Amino acid sequence: MALVTEEFWPQGDFFATSSGMPEVPRVKLPHPVAGTGEDKMAEVASDITPSIVELLSS
Amino acid sequence: MSLLDAASEHDALELLHDLGCTDGLPVVVPTAERVARMVLATGYEPDLVLGDMGPMHGAATIEKVATAAVMAGCTPDHAPVVVAGVRAVCQPEFDLTEMQATTHCTAPLMIVCGPARHACGEIASGFGALGPGHRANASIGRALRLAMINIGGARPGSSDMALHGHPGKFTYCIAEDEENSPFPGLHTTFGYEPDQSAVIITGAEAPHSTFFTGDRDDPNSVESLLNVIAMVMANPGSNNVHLREGAITVIMNPDHTEVIKRAGLRREDVQTELAKRATISVGTMRSINPTLFAQGITADDKGRFSEAADEDLIHVLKDPSRILVLQAGGSGLYTMVMPSWCAGPHRNAIVHSEIELDQACEIPGMTL
Repeated sequence: MALVTEEFWPQGDFFATSSGMPEVPRVKLPHPVAGTGEDKMAEVASDITPSIVELLSS
Repeated sequence: MSLLDAASEHDALELLHDLGCTDGLPVVVPTAERVARMVLATGYEPDLVLGDMGPMHGAATIEKVATAAVMAGCTPDHAPVVVAGVRAVCQPEFDLTEMQATTHCTAPLMIVCGPARHACGEIASGFGALGPGHRANASIGRALRLAMINIGGARPGSSDMALHGHPGKFTYCIAEDEENSPFPGLHTTFGYEPDQSAVIITGAEAPHSTFFTGDRDDPNSVESLLNVIAMVMANPGSNNVHLREGAITVIMNPDHTEVIKRAGLRREDVQTELAKRATISVGTMRSINPTLFAQGITADDKGRFSEAADEDLIHVLKDPSRILVLQAGGSGLYTMVMPSWCAGPHRNAIVHSEIELDQACEIPGMTL
């Protein structure tokens, strides 16, 4: 599974395809993540955790 | 490789632009005949694979590399250097896939050493060698870039995520000024014989100009020169300072190497001295990125500096051999320092490949 920010979503698609894993599960994060502060990071983590759990369970 | 159809050279060029196969500048249209002739100039079979070019993982066949060379405006004389360049960047240690994809501005700097500097189209090493006006430098470096675009699949904003890039991503090729240098050929430090030719490639930022005016009457002139180069190497914004790996290239002009020569220093002495002097204080690092620095930028750094005093010094490069020191450029006041990206699984290591001059075939009456 890959965590990919919105800005890098096309690159994620490209790499998934070029690596022979076009269907590799990906979760979209807002951009940017780095440097946004601990509270924002916690918010992002909280928001995406259900998606990660769902993908890992499917 | 597939063939495209177009009614004219003009239409073919527009088609190549539309398909994203160019670097944004006009290219020589790679007709089947032109490519076949360039293949012949390499001396290899067209389907010989030089390596895998990421991130698209295209097979860098001689035919595809020859296509890039034609598009870049290379002459047959340039072909052996282009082939060696592609072979070098395909080595796993160069981390080409990651390098092409990074947000950093890095570009492969090709340093040509040995007889190929003259045999392969007179690759410039003097005034303005990294600038416009030198066909071999411009075309050879551009051929590598076009191979990275069309075989490696690097396209800005979707697979090449460099935030800004830099002009060296169009072409970045220079020859060492071996004849006038106090140092042996740079390639000999990588195990080549002086009469062999090689291309040495490092992922590099744009050149950072380093002003120094020597003074023959000043016995400490060499100290001043080494200190100012080391200060530029320790630019607090560079990746080298944060990751302390990779390479740093130092291209000295003849006046500056004269100072080195008068002081009796060899290349390895310069490397050692620069590695010793290129430092940054813990306090400066703390002030730049306090949170990141406290956490440890690399795994090795985790907790390493937590007890360090602000005035303690951190060395920018652990290994002096990763400072590429060579002479090129015109006589004057400036040395060039190129920091590097230095990330990737192998820290974007310096790579090299022999330029095989005995492989090329003569092509009677050839005009590309």
